[in-house]
Formats: sequence, structure tokens, C-alpha cells
Amino acid sequence: MSAPATRTPPKPKRRPLSPLVIFGLVVVLFIVLMALVSFFWTPFTPIYTDLKNRSVGPFTGGHWLGTDRTGRDIATRLMLGARTTLYVGIVAVGIAAIIGTPLGILAGMVRPGASEFIMRTNDILLAFPALLIALILAAKYGGSITTAMIAIGVASIPGFIRVIRSGTLQVMSTDYVKAARVAGRRGPAIAVRHVLPNVAGLVIVQASSAYAIAILAEAALSFLGLGAPPSVSSWGRMLYEGQSTMTTDPLVSVWPGVAIALAVLGFNLLGDGLRDRYDPRMAGSR
Amino acid sequence: MKSSGLAALAASLCAALVVAGCSAGSTTAETSSAAATSAGNTSGSSSAAATTTAGSAASSAGSASETATVSGNAPAGDGALTVGFVLEPTSLDFTQVDGAQAPQALLLNVYEGLVKQDDTGKIVPLLAKSWDVSADGTVYTFTLNEGVKFSNGDAFNAEAAVFSIDRVKSTWLPSVKAGMDVVKTAEAVSDTELKVTLSAPSNSWLYAMTTRIGAMFSPTGVDDLANAPVGTGPYVFKSRVPGDNIVLERNADYWGSAAPVKTITLRYFQDANAMNNALLTGGINIISTLQTPEAISQFSDPKYQTIQGSTNGEVLLTLNNQTGPTADPKVRQAISYALDRKAILDVAWSGYGSLIGTQEAPTDPWFFDEDAYPFDPEKAKALLAETANPTPTIRLTLPPVPYATAAAPLIISQLADVGITVTDSSVDFPTWLDQVFKQADYDMTIINHVEPRDAAALFGNPDYYPRYNNPKVQELFKSADAGTPEQQISDMQAALKLIAEDAASVWLWSFPNLIIADANITGIPQNAIGESFNFSTLAVG
Amino acid sequence: MAWQLLRRCLIFLISTAVASFLIFWIIDSDCGPARSALGIGGTEESVQALCTQMGLKRPLIVQYWEWITHAATGDFGVSYISRRAIGPQIFDQLSVTLWLVLGAIVVALVVALPLGMASALRHGKVSGNILAAISQIGIAIPAFVAALLLVLVFAVRLRWLPANGYVVPASDPAEFLRHMILPWLSLGLVQGAVLARYVRSAVLDELGQDYLRTARAKGLTPLQALRRHGLRNASIPVLTVIGVQLVTVLVGAVIIERIFTIPGIGKGLADAAQGQDLLTVQGMVLTLVVAALMISFLVDVLYNVIDPRLRQGAGR
Repeated sequence: MSAPATRTPPKPKRRPLSPLVIFGLVVVLFIVLMALVSFFWTPFTPIYTDLKNRSVGPFTGGHWLGTDRTGRDIATRLMLGARTTLYVGIVAVGIAAIIGTPLGILAGMVRPGASEFIMRTNDILLAFPALLIALILAAKYGGSITTAMIAIGVASIPGFIRVIRSGTLQVMSTDYVKAARVAGRRGPAIAVRHVLPNVAGLVIVQASSAYAIAILAEAALSFLGLGAPPSVSSWGRMLYEGQSTMTTDPLVSVWPGVAIALAVLGFNLLGDGLRDRYDPRMAGSR
Repeated sequence: MKSSGLAALAASLCAALVVAGCSAGSTTAETSSAAATSAGNTSGSSSAAATTTAGSAASSAGSASETATVSGNAPAGDGALTVGFVLEPTSLDFTQVDGAQAPQALLLNVYEGLVKQDDTGKIVPLLAKSWDVSADGTVYTFTLNEGVKFSNGDAFNAEAAVFSIDRVKSTWLPSVKAGMDVVKTAEAVSDTELKVTLSAPSNSWLYAMTTRIGAMFSPTGVDDLANAPVGTGPYVFKSRVPGDNIVLERNADYWGSAAPVKTITLRYFQDANAMNNALLTGGINIISTLQTPEAISQFSDPKYQTIQGSTNGEVLLTLNNQTGPTADPKVRQAISYALDRKAILDVAWSGYGSLIGTQEAPTDPWFFDEDAYPFDPEKAKALLAETANPTPTIRLTLPPVPYATAAAPLIISQLADVGITVTDSSVDFPTWLDQVFKQADYDMTIINHVEPRDAAALFGNPDYYPRYNNPKVQELFKSADAGTPEQQISDMQAALKLIAEDAASVWLWSFPNLIIADANITGIPQNAIGESFNFSTLAVG
Repeated sequence: MAWQLLRRCLIFLISTAVASFLIFWIIDSDCGPARSALGIGGTEESVQALCTQMGLKRPLIVQYWEWITHAATGDFGVSYISRRAIGPQIFDQLSVTLWLVLGAIVVALVVALPLGMASALRHGKVSGNILAAISQIGIAIPAFVAALLLVLVFAVRLRWLPANGYVVPASDPAEFLRHMILPWLSLGLVQGAVLARYVRSAVLDELGQDYLRTARAKGLTPLQALRRHGLRNASIPVLTVIGVQLVTVLVGAVIIERIFTIPGIGKGLADAAQGQDLLTVQGMVLTLVVAALMISFLVDVLYNVIDPRLRQGAGR
């Protein structure tokens, strides 16, 4: 942190992490680990189709979680799917954070009129949820992972602007920022030296929540055929493909369903925990 | 922009929404049927408020209520059936939009041609009682049935037939009308006698007249084909809810024998699984084509019947014969040897369908059963070793169709076994049409060619997307079209053998006609021979 | 108050204008109608010629003005793919979707209010934590997964309800209800879980306020205190969330309508997007976005009615 310690407000008292947050952290770390390991090792090669063991249950023919109807190993596909999920999430949340954070700080620092303008524009953007943007892009350019990431990213911007703005407003009303202003510090310097370090925690909190939403959105888009193509393993895609054997072999759909739910739960719990830590006042709101 | 203008604009927007919300909320059936039947609404000037006043039939949009009458003991001839389909017609006007869905719904049901195919594929009379062909094969004289009326009340006569044939040549979409190019003139000799002169003898022309281009239109009934089709068929178009259903009703004034079932509802499911569930829960009575053969076991209950026949569809691993690694015949042959097509059929389509060795359907008159490339990975490797690059990398472009995505993993892994690396990519259908079909920018793709007797279109035209250019084959297709029926068969077989030898593509399997229906329904055709799903033979037993 | 209303109205109108131009500009169908009219056989020159002839080469702002003024009267033109008028189609589909959305919101409220309040009132107790955990898990389950499971259990296995399809309420109200139960539940349960979290934190906030502490000190139970004093205040953040959720549900209907084959605007939009029917997509997106803006406008107005404190000041 670049600002002198005496000028920053006192940190909220550190409380021990609650079990729920630890659970969220473990889930998220596990998914990251799964995705990382899949670069070096998967139970079977991704293109392997086991003709002798098609649509088998767990622990048959060396398949921990069984195979789908074309004989592909479900555990392998889940690991590859984790990669897709994380990748889409990182890019989407990255887009939102990189665009949303500066705009949010700006909205918190400029004159009320200009701030109002930014927030009204933000409201317009709020009327375009991820799915709608994804459908627009799909109609124009065809559905793909790229359009899905852009759509989810753009749709997450308003959330960032809102949260970061209110954080910035809080920082701006503190005495030390007022003092810095009186001392003749200019806006950009205040933004970088005082505001950014103090809203950084909020950015992480918001990123975690946005990540959970991004996972849901990616799964939904892939399920609609507007996200990951069949050649890319994705949890939403696996669910979609498993649908046809839902009545005869529901496990094929259950695994990716559980994976999605766990990932969302993990990121949400982590986000909540971080929010309690960084900003107790805002707990529970987005 | 002035804010007063904006205010007026937004205010009227609000008002329009509110009006629409109120009116549409209470009378959905009316609005949709009005939109479907009244011609004025497509002019583009209609508002929501206007459409409600034109409404007529209230029951048109309902579907579940109609199916209920089937299970009850309805008096014979008064039943209703709901048939599930996958792909919805983008437009009912098949003169302006290509795609097989509109003819599937309307041909033989709403529209009729002069001739049709019977269940064995033979061309038999329909609106024409009989016909003569001149000795040189260029002049066809049709004698038409009398007393036939269009559903708008107009009489069907030779004038209408001439109008329909000329209209194909003048106004139809270029990509659909090619089958009519050979016609030089069509003239009405009398009310019941039609003379058609071809510029050259053509066996395929009369066959083409059984497809959509042979459909007979009323000169006064073509103003709004997308919303109000008018034909002579056993059914008349009743209503349509886009994205959901089309309702056909028995033509009370039909010139032939009346259809046993009064109301046919065609329900469209993009999602094959939803269609299966609908049959399981009584939402529909017939699955027109099962898209998920892997799930067939859920219909083993004696409440359901399974009908398995063949279609005109050939699922091809189409190879680009002009560019890329697959331009080399040895690579194409190696691919053909490397694929265990029996295993692919088992995995991708649960073993339903039959293996074919060339561009033919089992119901084609020239069908012959021969496999030039039995599964032999060693031979594939040997052939590849003779080429410039024994371990090529080949692109596979996949359209979003279930059989392609299901077959792809195994194809990729079997080709990997002989040293071919496949990079697969999935594209949506418009992209596929543009990139693969139009520009031929691909190495391999998987697609079901559903058009009947399409060998000449696919492999006789070097500009078509397989880009297969063999003058000998083109010559054989030409002589087959111009010659006697016997010569047609022998020439077609010779051409098809050449195509197979050149490994112009890999023929994965012949697409099966898999229909699941309630057990008490009779009259479901076993083979899907023409372009249409004929409802007029269906009956509830 | 009047000035506030006028101001909100103005913001709504300007937002609508900006949003509609954005939609028109992004989805600009270019020469699509001409290309489509000529089919696969059309050459590039003939496409360009027809494109000019159809007026698609005029300045974007001119085309936009023509489009938006027609759209204001409910005329969205004729789709160059399906060759049907788009306006009537949108209105039909919108009415179907409204049924779906309204039912889902009712389900969500029925789930969220008791769940959220109970978990707030039992804050700190084990039972409260369990209730909070239930809503966390509910949030994590995607609506389409819920839909698939509900269909599997209640339609395919138990045969209690139809698996999919839509019946016009006017033609058969009972069948309409039977067909809508599963879609309502799939959409409503998950949204209810999301909403429950907000209800919980809003109620918790209120319970922490001084006046409620005083009321409780007077001997009222937390529930009684809340009922007498806090509900009005707690309803404000909840109202905002309901507004946001209406939009989410409206768009979330895309997937639910696909799974249950309900011919609403969501399914229409997905179909049109997949068929790259840009004119129809334009019309439908405009309808949905205007609906979303209108919802937030109404929420804003309701805000002012409920909370007099907000009548002055720029907003949140």
C-alpha cells in the first residue's frame, strides 16, 4: 500500500473465517486444482472413447465416474470442463473489473451531475442481462465461447460500478481524503493513492460474486447451444448432452449439475465471507 | 434529437405495450390465428389492436385439449392427432425459403402435385389421372382429374397447372427451382389436358414433379403463401403459432377419399428430449423422427409402437476433393479404411440405420449393396505412408446436429489410431452454410443429405461443396437422365461405383426412419420416401 | 413529488431512446434482408444491388428513425427469414411470457418472504443458519437444472403433470394451470432463494435499528416489533431486488421456455437468434429492454411513494 499508514482508516477488526467461508475456499481451490492438473494429466486422454464401456456407472472399466453414451470418461470431461468454466469466468470477470472499477471510482469522485450521468448510463446497461447480450451477439456473429465471455463480462460491469462507487463515496468522505484535498492533491493522485487501495477489497468481493454469476451464465449459454461448442468440454454442454439419456441414465447429467452447483456455492460463500471481512456494512447486499 | 419528439415516441411506446399486453393477454388464440390467416397483416402496417378484431377461431392455438379427444372414444373420423417434429419451417412459403421443413408439413397434406410416389417409390397419378410421354421423351401430356377444387373455392384445371409451373420458373427462389429448368413450355390444351414440353429428355423431371416444385397453386391463392397456404390437398391450413405448432384440418370438400383423422397438430420441439417427454406424458401421439435413439428403451412399454424403416438421408463424412490434405485420393481412401463405420453407427445412432457404400438410399431403384472400403487400419496406414505427409492434420467442421456431434468423438479417435490428427470445430448452421456449403472452406464435415436422389446434385456438379470433379461420372449422370429407365439404372450404378472408388466422401450410414407412436395409431408409412410426412393415411384404431 | 415523477419519466424516456439506438446500431442487419431474399444462390453484386434498392444503404440514423417510429406503433416490420409480421408475433409471445413471469414471481415471493424472515428472526440460532444455507444452495442450482429434475420426477416418473407444452388460458384454464406449474416452480424456486437472501439481510438491518430495539425492550417479540414498525422500511431494498429479479426472470424465461416448449418471447428470441433473423431479434430485444427499463422506472416511482425520505435528493 502506497499511502502512509497513518492516513488510512483503521482496518475492521479481523475475525476468524467462518466454516462456511472455509468450505467455499476449499471448493474453489479444488476446482482450480482440477483445472490445473488437467493440463498435465487426466484419467483418460480427452479424445478416448471406450467402446466396450459405454454408458457405464461409476468405477467400471477404470472410469471413476463412469462414461457417457459415446464412451467418453466423465471424470476426464469434468476436469476439462473446470478449465472452460474458470477460463470463461476469468475473462468475463476481468472485463467487468477492468472497465467497471475505474468507472466506479470516477462516478464516486466527480461532480454529482457527472456522477448521475454515469449511473444513469449504468442503469441502461443494467437492462441488458448477460443472456440478452449473448443472444444479440449470437444472432450477429454466431454463438461461441468468445461471445459468451464478452456477454457475461459486459453484463457484470454495472455491478462493479455500483459497488465501487459506493465504496469510493465512503472513502471520499473520510477526513484524510478531505485533508489530502485541502493539501492540494489532485483527483487522479487521490484516486490512485487513497481510493484504489481502499476499494481493492471490494473489487475482490465483487469479483467473487460476479464469478458465481458467470459460472451460471456460462452453463446456461452452453445449455442453449450459445456457448461452448461440442468440441470443447463444458459443464453446461455435458448437461445438455446428458439430457437425452436423463430417464435411463440420469447420472451422466447429475455430475455436471453437481459441479455447477458446487462451484457457484463455493464462489458465493467465498464472496460473502470476504464481504463480511472487508465491508461488514454491506454484508448481504450486492 | 428534440426531447418532445422523444417523449411522444416513448409515450406511444408505453401505450402500445400496454394495449398489447391487455389485448393479447386475453385473446392469444385470436391474435395468432388472425396473424396467420388474414392477408393484410403482413403488409407491415398492422398494429396489435388491429389484429384482435380480425380474429376468428378461438380453439385454433390450443393443443393439449385436442389430444384429449384421442384417448376418449371419439367417433371414427372425428379424431385429432398431435405429431412432434424437431425443426420448424422458418416460413410456410417453400417457394421462397429452402429447407425441408415446410414441404414436410404441407406437401401431400395441403398441396398436391400432378403425380406422387407410392410407398415403393414408384411414380403414380395424383391430380393427373394419366399421362403420355412422346417417343423422344420431351413432350408430356397429362390428363387431369375433374371436379378438383382448391381450398379457396377455385377449380383446379390445366390453366392452374400452367400457372404453377410457370410460377416456379419466374418467381421461386433460385436454389429451389432448378428441377424445373428443363421445362421449355407448359400449355393448357383444354380444361383437363396439359402439355409440357421439355428442352431435352429427362427422367428426373417427372420425379421432381413429385417434390415441392410440382405443387399446384391456385392463381388467386398465392398472395400470402407464408400465412395462408391454399392447395387441393386432404387437409387445409388452419392456424400457426410460430415456435410452437401448426394446425391442419380435414378438407371437407376434398376431391378424393377423406382423411380419417380430422385435426392434425404439428408440434415443434427444438429439444429432442422435450419431444420424448411429451410422448411419454401424452402431450403428443407420434414422434415423427426419433432424434435420440439411445433413449429408445423408455418406449418399450406396449403402449407405444416403434416403426423402423429407411429415409432418403445419407449421413456423409463429406471430404473436400479440391483443397487441403483430402484433395489427395490416397488420403481419402485411407480415411475410408480407417473408420469402423459399424462401430460409429452403434455409438452415434445406437445401431439404427444401415451401412451404405455410396450415395444411395435403400429405396432407390438403383440401390446396390457394396462396400468398397471395409474397416482396415493397416491398409489406411499403408496408404498414408505413400503420401507426402503420412501424419496429416485435417480439419473437421461440425454443424449443430445431434448425429454429427455424436459421431465426431469416435471418428476423431479412430483417425488418430492411423496417425491422422483431427482438429474439430463446431459452427452454427448459418456459419456452416456460408463457410462449408457456399465457400467450401473445409476439409471434412458431417451432414445428413436428406434430399431424395441427390447423387447427381452432389457429385455431378464440380461446384457443389464436395468439389468432386470426375468428367466420366458427370457423363454417366447425364446419360442416365436422358436414357430409358433401364439405362438410367445401369448408368446410375456405374456412376455411383466410380464415386465410391474415388472415395469422394465417406458414407457413414443410411439414416433410419425411426417413428415412435401410440400403439393404437395405424397408417404410419414405414419408409420416408418423398419430402413430406403424409397425414392423410393416419387413423386411430 | 410531481417534479420527481416528471424527472423519472424523462430519465426513462431518454434511457429508452439511448437503449433503442444501441440495439439498432449493434444488431444492424446490414444487407441481411437482401442476402436472405436471394438465398444461397445470390451473387454478391445482386445482393448489393437489392440492398441499395431496399434502402439498407441509407445513413443508420435515418433507418433508425424509420424503425423506431414504426416500432412505437407496434410495427416492427416483416421478418426477412420467416416472412411474417414481427409486431403481432412479439405481442402474442409477450403475453405468454407475462403469464410465466408473473407466476414465477408469485412463487418466488411465497418462498422468499417466510424463508428470509424466518432465517433473519432466528439469526444466530442453528435453525436460522440452516434456513440461510437452504437459500444458499437454492441460489447455486441453475434454473434449467431444477427444470430438468422437476420434469424427470413429476412428469416422466410420477406422471402427475405434463412434461411440456402450453395451453391458452382462455381455451382451457385448468389445463393451462397444469401446464404452467412446473415452469413456475423451476423459475420461481431459484429466484425465491435469491430473494430470500435479500429479505433476510433487509430484515436483519431493520432489527438492528434503535427504534426496533426499543420496541423489543417494551416486551414485543421480534416478529411483532417488525410487523408494527419495520416492515415498511425493510420492503424498500426488497422492492429493488424484485425489480431486478423481474428482469432476470424475464430473460431467464429463455431457457425455461425452451425446456417446456412454451411459445413465449424468450423462446422466440432464442429461435430468432439461432436463425440469425436480425430484424426479429431487434424487435424482441427492444421489447425486453423497454420492459426492463419500465420496471426500474416503476420501482423508482414506488420508492417515492413508500419512502417519503427519498423524495428529496438525487436517488440512491
